[in-house]
Amino acid sequence: MSDSFVSCPFCGLLCDDLQVDQRDGRARVASAGCARAARLFDVPAAGQALVAGKPVDTLAAIRAASALLKRSRRPLLSGLACDVTGHRAALALAERLGGVVDHMNGVAQFRNWQVFQDGGWMTTTLSEVRNRADLIVLAGVDVSRFPRFFERCLPPQSQQPSQFGDLQRRYIVLGDKPSPTAEQPHDAAFAISMPNRRLGDFFLALRARLAGRRLDHAAIEGVDPVQIEALLETLRAARYGVLVWNAAELDFPNADLTIQAMVDLVKDLNQSTRWSGLPLGGSDGDTSAAQVCTWQTGYPLRMAFEAGGPRYEPKLFATAALLAAGEVDALVWISAFDPARTPPVTDPAHCPSIVLGRADMVFAQPPEVFIPVAVPGVQHGGFLHRMDAVVALPLHAPAPAELLSVAQALAAIQQEIPHAAA
Amino acid sequence: MLRLNNGRVYDPAHGVDGELRDLYIEHGHIVATPRPDATIDSEIDLHGSVVMAGAIDLHTHIGGGKMNIARALLPEDHRRDPAPARHLGAGGEMHAGCGHAAPSTWTTGYRYAEMGYTACFEPAMLPANARHAHLEMGDTPMVDKGAYAMLGSDDFFLRLLSSGADQRLINDYVGWTLDSSQAMAIKVVNPGGISAFKFNARNLELEAAHPYYGVTPRQVIKALARAVHDLGVAHPLHVHASNLGIPGNADTTLATMAAAEGLPIHLTHIQFHSYGTEGERKFSSEAERIADAINRMTNVSADVGQILFGQTVTASGDNMAQHRNRGHASPDKWVVMDIECDAGCGVVPFKYKDKNFVNALQWAIGLELFLRVTDPWRIFLTTDHPNGAPFTSYPHLIRLLMDRSFRNSKLDEINAEAAAHSQLRGMQREYSLYEIAIMTRAAPARSLGLSDRGHLGAGAAADIVVYRDDADREAMFAKPEYVFKDGELIVRDGQVVKVVNGAVHAVKPEYDKGIEKPLKDYFDRYMTVKMEHIKLSDDELCSCGASKLIPHRCKGRSA
Repeated sequence: MSDSFVSCPFCGLLCDDLQVDQRDGRARVASAGCARAARLFDVPAAGQALVAGKPVDTLAAIRAASALLKRSRRPLLSGLACDVTGHRAALALAERLGGVVDHMNGVAQFRNWQVFQDGGWMTTTLSEVRNRADLIVLAGVDVSRFPRFFERCLPPQSQQPSQFGDLQRRYIVLGDKPSPTAEQPHDAAFAISMPNRRLGDFFLALRARLAGRRLDHAAIEGVDPVQIEALLETLRAARYGVLVWNAAELDFPNADLTIQAMVDLVKDLNQSTRWSGLPLGGSDGDTSAAQVCTWQTGYPLRMAFEAGGPRYEPKLFATAALLAAGEVDALVWISAFDPARTPPVTDPAHCPSIVLGRADMVFAQPPEVFIPVAVPGVQHGGFLHRMDAVVALPLHAPAPAELLSVAQALAAIQQEIPHAAA
Repeated sequence: MLRLNNGRVYDPAHGVDGELRDLYIEHGHIVATPRPDATIDSEIDLHGSVVMAGAIDLHTHIGGGKMNIARALLPEDHRRDPAPARHLGAGGEMHAGCGHAAPSTWTTGYRYAEMGYTACFEPAMLPANARHAHLEMGDTPMVDKGAYAMLGSDDFFLRLLSSGADQRLINDYVGWTLDSSQAMAIKVVNPGGISAFKFNARNLELEAAHPYYGVTPRQVIKALARAVHDLGVAHPLHVHASNLGIPGNADTTLATMAAAEGLPIHLTHIQFHSYGTEGERKFSSEAERIADAINRMTNVSADVGQILFGQTVTASGDNMAQHRNRGHASPDKWVVMDIECDAGCGVVPFKYKDKNFVNALQWAIGLELFLRVTDPWRIFLTTDHPNGAPFTSYPHLIRLLMDRSFRNSKLDEINAEAAAHSQLRGMQREYSLYEIAIMTRAAPARSLGLSDRGHLGAGAAADIVVYRDDADREAMFAKPEYVFKDGELIVRDGQVVKVVNGAVHAVKPEYDKGIEKPLKDYFDRYMTVKMEHIKLSDDELCSCGASKLIPHRCKGRSA
């Protein structure tokens, strides 16, 4: 049945070359795609709304959600795994309620935002990488989280100028997972194994050497100084180098300083040749969530709508911190892409939760309200940003369903609030 | 029918210069004086207040990826200007946001309307980023929007040009780009230079060959100016010239004007391109030479890109220039991006200081340009928001142009050496209300081909602004008494009273769709997106948020 290509919303690459069939109301990836796409495109066409774990019709669930939110003084709208239209609706509801907003990937996002807001950076986009990158540094990255990264962004064919010779890509693999996997290149120029938490020191050492300073050997413990020098030469010799990291995988205290060292190295290298950073991410609609919140409020999430206007607290307004401190009294958890991304467990007496999730979401502890929603890009169309935030792609609906979209469900809740029993 | 009685009307499109007139509004439009027995449903006595069409900003960075980078980069600036949500009863809801240098989309729309602007054009939309830019503009209320698509450093175009492709093929590609990105015009930024930066060039002179493609910025300008002209797009090629900000760049600017070879060309933020190298500091004003050239060459128009003192942020497609300027970042942080074989961007926060020689002279150069260019139909009032200053400083700028003693009092405050270098103090000219109405209404509407905007004749859309006459022109232009958008009262005494959405303008050129064959092949071979998915359909455009699409047919001129 498929005669056109659809975009896959299930990771930040947003591959848009999939062909997807429909069978008995369920989508099936017919060509292109990856294992993750195959699993997540397949979603039931109908779902069961729940209140206190008991089946109800959707309208009753919406009314229950409205009543909960009417009583709330400070709700948290988190998860935010949906499309742009859903993000717009979530922000509108948060504004109406005086709520706080964060994304389920907020911890990783804000490792990057902190660095970005402290010093800025130089970055690039996927098609630039594909056509120009001759040296790729994978810094603590397990690329299998973005299954088609090599196929889509680093295939042999590029429009790299032939007068400079064919584009011979070289790879440097650093960190916890230095051994090239099946998808990764086997011809890594360098593969240096080190714990990811030591990458920061390693990049600082490279910066120091680049600036002509002598190195204290302790700074590069376990790495042969000769290898450092050779590596530095390779970095300098790149025509268009790309340093790739994934903030989600730099999961240790003060990891933002590691990212800082990387982006500063990229800036330094640009004094004589061209380098760019490529922060991987963008899964679960996190790029769109940050983009919409930025254009509407000025802040890339972790902001609250208060009487004096938007308030931004990138550390205090983290989902886990707010829940742990008891600073919010209701949780709206939006998770329309991956049924495994269930909400953090809250104490229903102090912070009841309302979940807008995929129809096939399964709970260890059912939330106070569950509203099954359509999956953007499978069951309804829309817009979604790729990890580089430049390209927003159309989402299609290869298997349209009767389920409400996130935006529709949130709008219905918002409409009911004035009528809800307090 | 609504009657606005007794206003002092400035409508340069019809040569009306401050005459007392009544205006009649019906179904969102201005209508001719009706028969005496017509029913007037309501009327407002304007008591001789100043009446103009809604203002049009033809160069303001209101939406798109680089503005979102600028917003995200500057939480400290937003914190000083939070904008709470407001309930207007029947007038709807005003969303919360933030203001100052890189305002949120909602706040941008509200504040433009509160100054009497009813249309804004984003001048630097990357085709790869078009869907995002239209989503942002869809959340920019009150004003009508439009965007110029950036070309000239994209690999597809440079490949065409370097392979000696026929101009007709280039025209088709330019037409396809306008169509697929839903743009209103074509802009070129540092022609070829954004691409050259990706090949490690740090500068690209007008006559210099691109390090790989071999073509020169001059060739890029010539081909694009021709394409825009042949396609019949109303707005001329919109050019951000080479060598932005570099002392001595006035020569480049003059050569860029000549590169259009007589075809219409618009030079944007020309203040940043009017610098000489005289004096001890090797930085001087070339405003006189640039203004003389504009006065002489009737195919040339320009907007100024005035700087005003204080904190702002510069956001530009010119990644090469922005990387060069990174050392001036204040606060000390900056972002440079290479984008999608399409273009690039650079965001550098800036604080212009009146006691700094260079900044003070930049300020004077902008004002000299305004005052030396004699034809207000060809010079437009802009600060290149937010690059020279946030758009909210327009009323201050208008006062500088209209009030010589005020201007000279400000001249006394700036760096004394810069003031001494400038010829500003000797300049007598004060802009009239009629000239302000030309440069902020009639002229931009004409330049963009908006036949029913920027004037107050019968048939015009009822975008109307009423100002209380006030000798303090800054106070006057900051707070209009009334603003009507398509006949609806949206602002009263400088405050939004009704929220409206605003439409989006886009040109609909005619071109050979056969260009999609090589394009599809190119995208399949080299890009990480399908060609079909770069295209933004009319339906998609409307679901981005604008109230409606206003299409503008183009009458092609055969190549």
